[in-house]
Amino acid sequence: MNKLWTVFWYELTTQLKRRGYWVGTLGLPLSLFVFAFGYNFLAGAAAPDPQEVVRQFDFRGIQRAGIVDYSGAFRKVPESLASRITLYDDEQQARADVRSGKIDALYVVAEDWAETGDVRLHTPNVALDRITSAPLEQLFYETVVEDVEPRLLRRLSRPVNLELFNLSRTSRDGTQATNEDADFILVYVFTIVFLLGLFVSSGYLMQGVIEEKENKAIEVLISSVRPLELLGGKILAYGTQGLLAIVLWVGLGLLALNTAVQLPAFQTATALLNIQVPYERLPIMLAYFVLAYFTFAAIYGAIGALSSSLTDGSQYIFVFVLPSVIPLYLFGIFLQTPNATLPTILSILPLSGPISMLIRITIVEVPVLEIVLSLGMQVIGLIGAVWLAARLFRVQTLLSGQTPKWRDLPKLLRG
Amino acid sequence: MSPAVDVQHIAKAFGQFQAVREATFEVRFGEIFALLGPNGAGKSTTIRMILDIIRPDSGTIRVFGRPLDDAAKNQIGYLPEERGLYKSQKVLDMMTYLGTLKGLKPAESRKRAMSYLERLELADFAKKKVSDLSKGMQQKVQFAVTVMHEPRLLIIDEPFSGLDPVNRMVVKEWLYELRQKGSAIVMSTHQMNQVEEMADRLLMISRGQQRLYGEVQAIREQYAIHAIIVEGQGDWSRLDGVTQVESLNEQRRGAVRLHLRPEVSYDDVLAAIARDDSLTIERFERAVPSLDDIFIQVAEEDAQEVRWLNRREAEREVEKEAV
Repeated sequence: MNKLWTVFWYELTTQLKRRGYWVGTLGLPLSLFVFAFGYNFLAGAAAPDPQEVVRQFDFRGIQRAGIVDYSGAFRKVPESLASRITLYDDEQQARADVRSGKIDALYVVAEDWAETGDVRLHTPNVALDRITSAPLEQLFYETVVEDVEPRLLRRLSRPVNLELFNLSRTSRDGTQATNEDADFILVYVFTIVFLLGLFVSSGYLMQGVIEEKENKAIEVLISSVRPLELLGGKILAYGTQGLLAIVLWVGLGLLALNTAVQLPAFQTATALLNIQVPYERLPIMLAYFVLAYFTFAAIYGAIGALSSSLTDGSQYIFVFVLPSVIPLYLFGIFLQTPNATLPTILSILPLSGPISMLIRITIVEVPVLEIVLSLGMQVIGLIGAVWLAARLFRVQTLLSGQTPKWRDLPKLLRG
Repeated sequence: MSPAVDVQHIAKAFGQFQAVREATFEVRFGEIFALLGPNGAGKSTTIRMILDIIRPDSGTIRVFGRPLDDAAKNQIGYLPEERGLYKSQKVLDMMTYLGTLKGLKPAESRKRAMSYLERLELADFAKKKVSDLSKGMQQKVQFAVTVMHEPRLLIIDEPFSGLDPVNRMVVKEWLYELRQKGSAIVMSTHQMNQVEEMADRLLMISRGQQRLYGEVQAIREQYAIHAIIVEGQGDWSRLDGVTQVESLNEQRRGAVRLHLRPEVSYDDVLAAIARDDSLTIERFERAVPSLDDIFIQVAEEDAQEVRWLNRREAEREVEKEAV
């Protein structure tokens, strides 16, 4: 079995030296960071400070505005608006400034403004992007809220923080409400990460085996190492690199999420803010990943042994991958009624179990018995896959230059 | 001392196809042993059985005096006919890996790989990818991988294919060196001139059956006919004791094979040529057949046997239908 570890170490270090592996592994979480900070930077000017929220009105095409106030409501311009709004005592002077282009618009507030709200707008020419009352509204807002306490000011700026709840489902904390947006993001991200880790690793494994067959290196290898040692070493190596990728994705992804929710620009992203990562369930998810990975790796290894090219391999893969991704096609059902019969059965069966259960345990409380039963079925599935691999990952298939037909499989399995 | 390989009555079938019917032979330390046979004769199957890649249906194989185990596998170097390397890997890394699979420690494997690359004048390519090497360079690297763990038993299938004359000489000298050091070398090839030049003993199998086995020279003697080959000018049919003059299609012009009556000795013929002024002679040698001739003769005999068996089978079918 020493050679199993030789194969393991070689395959692992070879994979970890690949630039593509690190681009794929670090690229995803790094792009989240870039997105978070980039969005925050771009939205920074308009983003409200979560502690000192002051509503920002859109001035549109007006860079500088003038106000002539006959009502006496606007006594001064606050510091924050001084560069954009000028109060005039003399309307003639103000009009001259509009004409000369010193200001883009002039608001003349009527004497009975408090009762009527009447304001005249003067612009140098007809410009649709200057037909707005925003500068006056901003001045009014800031004048009025000057003495309002910060907590009330925040509510005044953002009176409603709307969250959607589905009362038909039981949440993790036992209450009758679950935040669907947050659930959707979490489940979706976890499922994608799980699938990527699972199928990318297994896919590389199969590709490696097929390349060894295509390169004709396989005969030299199996004259030195037993086929099952070769397969075992490969499975462990690709599993380790897949697991490492997932740990990095999840770890850095959570870091990106936690960083993002601290940024001012994301303060209105309620779905992100409401995400509750079920940290206590990560070990169960890990167990599912390990079982699913070994199951699929054994299957992919066996398919690699059978196939003389990647194209040939795909005809076999489809049969095993289809059941595993069925939960994705039924994503809506899983989100709406995760404890119904169909999601429950799918989460117990081998192949479909890992992703089904991953979706369920992310959003609802799944009975321990179901989890134990499901894990047991995954172990049975794994034993079946290893048996299949042991029957097919043999000299006869590895040295064969042709991909067998479906009808040849029973004969190959009998040996 | 037990032989490097001791094969006793092995047979192997794949479904209905009998790849090897019967083979019994041994390979000794310090010899180059040629394994010959037409395509599909069962050579590769025999080699794979020696290496325990496939198991024989019957018979026994002992390597270094015992059934093949992992320790023995580490002392075997194997260069299959359909060979290949990891194209996307760096030369030195790949050689190191394959060396460790033969039981070398990683550091030792790397050191030896580098030293072999230097010997092959490929040291500059150590950090390059295998795919960057020419086909000839890849062949040399493949050969180095096969011998870098200094195997006691080397099994090589068509070792010279793809090599230019200079590199062929390099590999040939390497093989002589290994034989000198006591390694047993099994060489499967179709290049009969290489066998005549290099091999000490040979085994020829045809249609899965062992046909010739023994010392190369003894087998050639065994197939020798009572004839001489001469080159020169003159009418050879005038010589006493010559029953037939057979023209040979050799590169040099005027070579003929003179078939002799049984009672006529080679000395008699040489003396007769010397006496006859109308004959000039540049070459005079016993007509010992080349391995090429023997190979073709055995293959042809087998083909005739197959045709005869097929005809018999067809006749039997006709008889059965008539009854």
